Amino acid sequence: MSASDSDSGSAGPSSPASQSVLEVRGARRSFGEREALCGVDLDLVPGSIYGLLGPNGAGKTTLLRSICGRLSLDSGTVRLSGENPVGNPEVRRSLGFVPQEIALYPDLTARENLEIFGGLTGLSRSEARETAGRLLTRIQLAQRAGDPVHTLSGGMKRRLNIAAGVVHRPSVLLLDEPTVGVDPSAREGLHDLLRELRNDGLAILLTTHDLDQAAELADVIGVLIDGRIHAQGSLDELLRQVFDGGKEVVVTLGEEPTAAARSRLLEDGFEPTRLGDVWTGRLRGKLSDLSAIGGQLEEAGLAVAEVRVREPSLRGVFFHFAGRDIDR
Amino acid sequence: MTRAVFRAMVLSLIRDRAALAMTFVLPALFFLIFAAIFSGATGEQLRLKVAVADEVGDETTTRLVSALEDDPALLRVGGGELAPEEVRRLVRKGTADVGLIVRADAEPLDSLGGFGPAPLLIVADPVRGVAVPMLKGQVQKAYFSALPDVALGSVVALVEDQFVEFDDDQSEDIADGLADLRREAEEGATSPWGFDDLFEREDVAGQSAAMNHVAYYAGAVAVLFLLFSSVHGAISVIEEKDSGILDRTLAGPGRMSAIVNGKALFLVVQGVVQIGVIFVIGWIVHDVDLPGHVPLWAVTTVAASVAAAGIALVVALVCRTKRQAQTLANVAILILSALGGSMVPRFFMPPLLQKLGWLTPNTWALEAYTAIFWRDEPATSLLLPWAMLVVAGVVGLWIAQVAARRLEIS
Repeated sequence: MSASDSDSGSAGPSSPASQSVLEVRGARRSFGEREALCGVDLDLVPGSIYGLLGPNGAGKTTLLRSICGRLSLDSGTVRLSGENPVGNPEVRRSLGFVPQEIALYPDLTARENLEIFGGLTGLSRSEARETAGRLLTRIQLAQRAGDPVHTLSGGMKRRLNIAAGVVHRPSVLLLDEPTVGVDPSAREGLHDLLRELRNDGLAILLTTHDLDQAAELADVIGVLIDGRIHAQGSLDELLRQVFDGGKEVVVTLGEEPTAAARSRLLEDGFEPTRLGDVWTGRLRGKLSDLSAIGGQLEEAGLAVAEVRVREPSLRGVFFHFAGRDIDR
Repeated sequence: MTRAVFRAMVLSLIRDRAALAMTFVLPALFFLIFAAIFSGATGEQLRLKVAVADEVGDETTTRLVSALEDDPALLRVGGGELAPEEVRRLVRKGTADVGLIVRADAEPLDSLGGFGPAPLLIVADPVRGVAVPMLKGQVQKAYFSALPDVALGSVVALVEDQFVEFDDDQSEDIADGLADLRREAEEGATSPWGFDDLFEREDVAGQSAAMNHVAYYAGAVAVLFLLFSSVHGAISVIEEKDSGILDRTLAGPGRMSAIVNGKALFLVVQGVVQIGVIFVIGWIVHDVDLPGHVPLWAVTTVAASVAAAGIALVVALVCRTKRQAQTLANVAILILSALGGSMVPRFFMPPLLQKLGWLTPNTWALEAYTAIFWRDEPATSLLLPWAMLVVAGVVGLWIAQVAARRLEIS
């Protein structure tokens, strides 16, 4: 992977770009005045999961649509196995896509759905039938193969939804928020399935605004905010980049700081942000740094409501780049 | 790929009982109702309901009223002894199609060419205007065939008055002849004075009026529901867009052109089966001669289904939401069907609406079906309707393909 527009510029690729099965370079796309993608670079290598982390409206769906060849870019390129997928169905044969919705025919059985999506991606009837049987066993739905989809549980539908995206054996799988609305146990099953697919050599690009999911699943995480990838790398790389081996310190203020106080605090690496009724901020660094901030807060006459010290997390990484929580 | 789309459409239809009923059962039911109504309303089997008041009540007028009662084309309503006002009331209420008053204060029935009011007054509702000439015809027929002595007697009197004066012997012979005529009429002998011998009849279209009506409505109902079911099927493309199925398919090697073609193929097959069900029922229940016209019927049905598929796919692909498509389709289909003769035969319409009907697929399909089952015309007369239907379908399909491309890439 490589990072562009990273604020540190230090999040370099952990795999050479030459191994990439999917390359995005300088992708830009605007809708009127609004820039949805601002020069995104991204590489995806076989046998890995890339977690594209971003809040709603960050540009995740725009990027996915560009990769699928459904959206033309204003500038930049997308290469799938070295070829441009736009207007090129044959190139897109190596692409599988799992939408956020349960994109299945509800009145058809699980098996029929897989066979039909196999047919839609160019498999022969016999190939589709054979692949459907294999996938149904893999997603543990062989016993329910003849049941209409609308009778399956939410978790089963989600597994089938993913299976329908790989029925034609693509080399790249794009998943758009694949676990939205899924209960924890079903979610775990889906994660297992995705890990299996990765271990089979599939390159998976997963968009999510679920920090835990990204941390748990992704080999590489990209932080996409306002159409820009601010950082990308493994979870350890991102934590190191942001916290440099230190702790995450969350200070909640009891009152709104003045502009002058905010400016002085910022010099010490603490930028208070309004979160509802409270002002809070995160520090990276060592516990000993807390005393310096404490001094500044005292000098500014600001009351501290709460101080929390914890191991660095992806939430802190996201907060660092976005200046807010991902779900706000 | 097209085959997979077709298969998905077929399986989705088979699994959806409501859609199955809407596609195959409801049209058949509608057809049976229409056929039952119109096979009994062919004109030949209709009896004109007449209310009669006889203010005179003499022997001659009684003979006329009695002759009208015996006429199988007429049904006397309201009882035997009605007052003129009761006749007017029955016509106004619609209980009688038309009324007849034999006037007392008028010229007598056996006197032609008098200067007083006419002896018979027809009471009519303008809405049922056609009932007036029908009643006039039946009264004239009864007058001459059941009362020949009265009719000819008045003619003789008129001739004698205006052209030639008969001597006593001639007058006696005439009186004897008229008496013989009256006796024969009372004995029920066939009278030449009804002028039935003037006419012979030759039917040139179809087996019978009832059969023609049934065949017409088989086509009319079939095309109406063909349009509805085609749009319902085509709208699946919007459902697939909303559910993410299109996104999934188009992200891979799938193309909108293949999806549109698959759906068009399904709609044509569905249309042929749907129309087939209606005509088979027409054949079984009402003896519509389907077995005798299978090749021409098949070509017409495929052409009509192609047209409906093209139109339906345009509606589905031009609209952005399912509700938008359904609303547009319902309005468009009802207008096309009204103008095209699926609701009321076009020959009942004013000339302008008849001309506008040529812009609808219903008209061309019905032209073809009536040419086959009603007028028994050769295949050459069907070439134009077939061409118009196929062209409508192909143009529709082309527009649908163009509209579909905007879903593929933006």
